[in-house]
Amino acid sequence: MSRRIVIDHLARVEGHGGVTVELDGDGVRQVRFDIFEGARLLETAVRGRRFDEVAPVASRICAICSAAHALTSLKATEQAFGVAVSAQTEMLRELLYRGENIASHALHLFLLAAPDYLGLPDAAALAAQSPEAVMLGLRLKRLGNRIQEVIGGRAVHPVNAVPGGFARLPSEDDLIALRADLRQGLVDSEAAVDLIASLPPAESCCAAPRLAALVSTSGYGYYAGREVMVTDGGAPMRLPVSAYRSWLKERAVEHSHAKHSSVNGSPFMVGALARVALRRQSLAPRGEAALARLGLRLPPESPLDNNKAQAVELVADVAWALETVERLLEQGLAPEPPAAIEPRQGIGIAATEAPRGLLIHSYSYDARGRLLAADVITPTAMNASSVEEHLRRTVERWPQADDRTLRGRLEMVVRAYDPCISCAVHLVRRGHGA
Amino acid sequence: MRRPATGIFGLTGCAGDQLVLLNCEEELLRLMEALDLKDFLMASSARDADCELDIAFVEGAVMSRADEERLVEIRRRSRLLVAIGTCAVWGGVAAAGRERWGQLLEEVYGDTGRRYDSLPARPLDQVVPVDLRITGCPVEKEELLDAVAHLLCGDPPVPADYPVCTECKIRENACLLIGQARLCCGPVTQAGCGARCPSFGLPCEGCRGPARDANLRSAWRLFEEKGISPDEVARKLATFAPLGPGVAAEVTV
Repeated sequence: MSRRIVIDHLARVEGHGGVTVELDGDGVRQVRFDIFEGARLLETAVRGRRFDEVAPVASRICAICSAAHALTSLKATEQAFGVAVSAQTEMLRELLYRGENIASHALHLFLLAAPDYLGLPDAAALAAQSPEAVMLGLRLKRLGNRIQEVIGGRAVHPVNAVPGGFARLPSEDDLIALRADLRQGLVDSEAAVDLIASLPPAESCCAAPRLAALVSTSGYGYYAGREVMVTDGGAPMRLPVSAYRSWLKERAVEHSHAKHSSVNGSPFMVGALARVALRRQSLAPRGEAALARLGLRLPPESPLDNNKAQAVELVADVAWALETVERLLEQGLAPEPPAAIEPRQGIGIAATEAPRGLLIHSYSYDARGRLLAADVITPTAMNASSVEEHLRRTVERWPQADDRTLRGRLEMVVRAYDPCISCAVHLVRRGHGA
Repeated sequence: MRRPATGIFGLTGCAGDQLVLLNCEEELLRLMEALDLKDFLMASSARDADCELDIAFVEGAVMSRADEERLVEIRRRSRLLVAIGTCAVWGGVAAAGRERWGQLLEEVYGDTGRRYDSLPARPLDQVVPVDLRITGCPVEKEELLDAVAHLLCGDPPVPADYPVCTECKIRENACLLIGQARLCCGPVTQAGCGARCPSFGLPCEGCRGPARDANLRSAWRLFEEKGISPDEVARKLATFAPLGPGVAAEVTV
């Protein structure tokens, strides 16, 4: 007997997506992660633009990851022109990333994912049961947004990060206020780990995901790095970002406006879980302790562990941000204008770790500094194939489950990936003027 | 005070305006008490997709037949429809390549692209009547909360209709256009952001769309005086509001 399960519109994810499953008896005929977010083709908005107008448009690809898009865009642009930014700029950009990561993870863990574990429809229902838990999540989210406001000038679509550096440096008063918030954040993020650790275990499909993450050149950093590590159970491969087109394959599919990605023909997972697993040795001591409290075993056994990995990063990021702000207050910021930019014909390919994982921007510029062509590959697009694989395994494990139960488990798998569907839609043209 | 039945919806966009609502961390729980949130897919799986609504907040542009159908359905069930964000009000950044949409789809997705449900971006009011507009890319938290507070009291909110320059002068920023001859969209862009970019020493990008009460004639004269060509200004203004009325026409004034 054949059966069809359709989730039309996934709730508690960013953007428009769904799931379709077709079963034939106990056999799984088809599993699809449908992405029907409208294509925005932002390439028309960036093509022909002067180099300093590109990042503000690129950030509009996605609100939740807007700082990551803006900074990856700047990194690609600066690389195309052979511009090196100062160590101070790199550090402030990293701080902006940590802010975005804290805000994004707090939003996902407390407002989107946690209600599932407790059988609740949303954070409002959670607040009725345990208001302090929701307040805790909101305080952490506020902290991440405060960092973004102080460094980036706005919590969504930062304005202050410009080619070569920052338009304005944060004031001492801003940093003093931020330090106070971060001290509270240290306590809050530890409480968040305890809260996530206390959630009832979720039924999961128990399939070890293949993982990919940026090899950071600054500890556990999200911003600096030029290589990607990919693991497939065996020895990890290290692949240069500059050659991403030779190892990262994409294909357009009918049911999704996000192209599907593969490395060596296999789907792979990016995001907090991949980072924690592949960069465990550079995790802050607080992060390592959180790992143990959460019972997160590595290498991971299920994509649902991404939720635990996000909690680990919350603790590690708040600790890093506090240390950094304390150091800045001790040493002071050097009053430096953005590095001078002299446009030239060239190609820039940059990768960073957005909250949801690896993000690539690749640009080519003409001699006047006008953008000729661009390619952007987002974490959710990279994850799309892997999401489908785990949806399939979930159905294969519980083919007899009733529709409602199965639907709930499928939704949890998708949500654990923390998909950002606005991002996933391929926005820009492939091929550098080819 | 009666809790108005409220829906919060996103068409095609970056979800930034819904995110700004969720970023009202200090007010969020009280906001949820004040509004009877019936349908807010981004934040809740308990949704009533059919009930009548007193207020619908809609962000994003109309970029597919599915968006169009959803918007018509939202309009049908809502007493008051509020467009939030530059995409919903003016079309936004994705409206830039409207003329060659089919061709662009094919460039990006190949043959498969031709079968996608995808249309050039339109603001909401090109599809259904819109009662209120709160612009911004993204909307400002304070304007959003102010609008909700007004609506709860049964009054229409009063968004700024004057240009960013007004707020920039209040903040006593040095003028980037007059002082440095930089292309700043402040004279023609709707205020409400507190002149954020000029306060960082950056020219206004025009992300909030045209101001109704701008002195266009004087603005164009000033741009000309500073050696900034009308084409350049028009191109810049088209980044966020390519469908804004009068922008192109005023170039020749």
